[in-house]
Amino acid sequence: MRLLQKTNRTYFLISGTAFIIAGVIFFFVISFFFKDQLNEKLFHDIKNITRSIKKNGTLPNYYPFIDIREVPAQSERSFKIIDTLIFNEFEKREILFRQICLIRVINGKEYFIAARDTSIEEDDLLEVIAIVTGLVFVLLLVSLYFINRKLSMKIWQPFYKTLDELKEFSHDKPGFRLSSESELFEFTELNKTLEKLTKKVISDYQSLKRFTEDASHEIQTPLAVIQSKLETLMQYPDLKKEQAELINSAYVYTLRISKLTQTLLLLTKIANDQFPDKKAINMAELIGEKIKMFEDHILEKSLTLNEDIKPDCFLETNFFLAESLVINLIGNAVKHNIKGGIIKIKLDKTHLEISNSGEILPIPSSKLFERFYKTDKSSDSSGLGLAIVREICRLNKWEIKYVYENNLHTVIVNF
Amino acid sequence: MKILIIEDEKELVGTIKSFLEPEGFLCETALTYFEAEDSLSTYIYDIIILDLTLPGGDGLDLIKLIKDKNRQAGLLIVSAKNSLDDKIRGLDMGADDYITKPFHLAELNSRIKSLARRRHFDGANELIFNEIKINTDSNEVFINETILDLTKKEFEILLYFIVNKNKVITRESIAEHVWGDNISYSDNYDFIYSHIKNIRKKIELNNGRNYLHNMYGIGYKFSER
Repeated sequence: MRLLQKTNRTYFLISGTAFIIAGVIFFFVISFFFKDQLNEKLFHDIKNITRSIKKNGTLPNYYPFIDIREVPAQSERSFKIIDTLIFNEFEKREILFRQICLIRVINGKEYFIAARDTSIEEDDLLEVIAIVTGLVFVLLLVSLYFINRKLSMKIWQPFYKTLDELKEFSHDKPGFRLSSESELFEFTELNKTLEKLTKKVISDYQSLKRFTEDASHEIQTPLAVIQSKLETLMQYPDLKKEQAELINSAYVYTLRISKLTQTLLLLTKIANDQFPDKKAINMAELIGEKIKMFEDHILEKSLTLNEDIKPDCFLETNFFLAESLVINLIGNAVKHNIKGGIIKIKLDKTHLEISNSGEILPIPSSKLFERFYKTDKSSDSSGLGLAIVREICRLNKWEIKYVYENNLHTVIVNF
Repeated sequence: MKILIIEDEKELVGTIKSFLEPEGFLCETALTYFEAEDSLSTYIYDIIILDLTLPGGDGLDLIKLIKDKNRQAGLLIVSAKNSLDDKIRGLDMGADDYITKPFHLAELNSRIKSLARRRHFDGANELIFNEIKINTDSNEVFINETILDLTKKEFEILLYFIVNKNKVITRESIAEHVWGDNISYSDNYDFIYSHIKNIRKKIELNNGRNYLHNMYGIGYKFSER
């Protein structure tokens, strides 16, 4: 829900309730005062009538407003204020009257005196009040709506601008700044805090990146030394089988760490966008080349290769990255395949699809492109291949997804 | 043949030296930029191995000096993996070949020998190991003067073995040499074995001896033993 919607809704609810309550109070107050005034007037009328009878001895008769009758003595003394309906000949309907009737002794005779006046009809009153409050309510809402709109356009403008700029924020783009300025303290404060926060995020990210890079670099040299020492050790004549196995084991693991740090470095470099040179790359040709590279592996696993590659699909990108992408995807399709399985490679101008048969993923497919998520914990794969693929896609703004259909694992890259 | 190894990691220099010297190379070393400058201005080398990440100066600057003072030397540059810029710039500036660190010693040996062959034309395009003869210009292999019909990969593997004769060669090193270093995407090296089986078979069919020995799961050794 937008801020404007929310405030409008709140205003509507609260002022709506307030207006209903106000209407009800209004209604009771008005009818109370009206009736009170009426009563007073009627008492006054009776006083006048009494005085007039005393003075003149005649009975005034203004039906239905004044009604006087002589009644037999010792009639029951009564005093009543009631509302009553009296038929009106002009209007041809019954009209509500308020009347005060009493028995009074004047000049020794007893009279029944009733003073009446048209009273207020409650439905009419209610209707009028409802219409008036309703009108005021609508007027208020309309003006509130416009005030709000104006406010949100003007006052909230810097806020929305900041929001738009924040959407563009990326942790790997240094020099991020918020341009909007506001005279309002809250927004200035918000921008200041956000700027501090983004600066921190960027510098943290930079130092993390630098650390990964430095660490990988620093690890590389000792690894190169270990590797060369082990290769030298292998050359010793008369190595016993157990000794050779020990050396080999150390050697294999050294190569694995070495590969791992190289891959981490590569990931950092891709994230750093350190592959700026772009040119048109013939993907069909590149894929053909890489398939050839894997032909021994494909043969060894007796895989059936199914190619549907449209010639001359060109992509404007970095050659090394395109190569890494293709090698990783084909390599994965070969590696995670079963003996006698299938590989399908489909390429056209808009997308690349690489499918392979294989065991069902033991990890959730959403984690597939995460670093170090391996299908097989003990395997010698780094678990970084698909993370690299994802980074390359991110850098090139390509969309990547994984689907499992007809017993085939498929990775689709939409260019 | 005189080699200058310009590399700042002392331990690595030591092993490279001990691997290359039995191959008949005379190795000198330079551990810093200044030592390298000094050696390059004073002596003439046949082959120079230059690590581009050198303390005290940019390795690329040394290429200029080499082209100036040691023009005839074969230059092999060593760069970190993924450092494409260095690699490309080095080659542009006149390096003959490059190798990325960390490397297999057998691979380094093979690159140096290939450089050496290119430097000395007279008869150096032939490698002979007993009854086996390899012509590196025409990419032909002869056994007792009969030509051996090998696939491209089999030829590359055999050449790699003969260049590194009497050395233990690891499977990883063979895979990287023939298939490129992306081969680590594969989980086993059985495909190498089938090539080696084929080479053995073809040599034996032509009455050659089997010089290819298994080394306890590490790899292979091409030797007379």
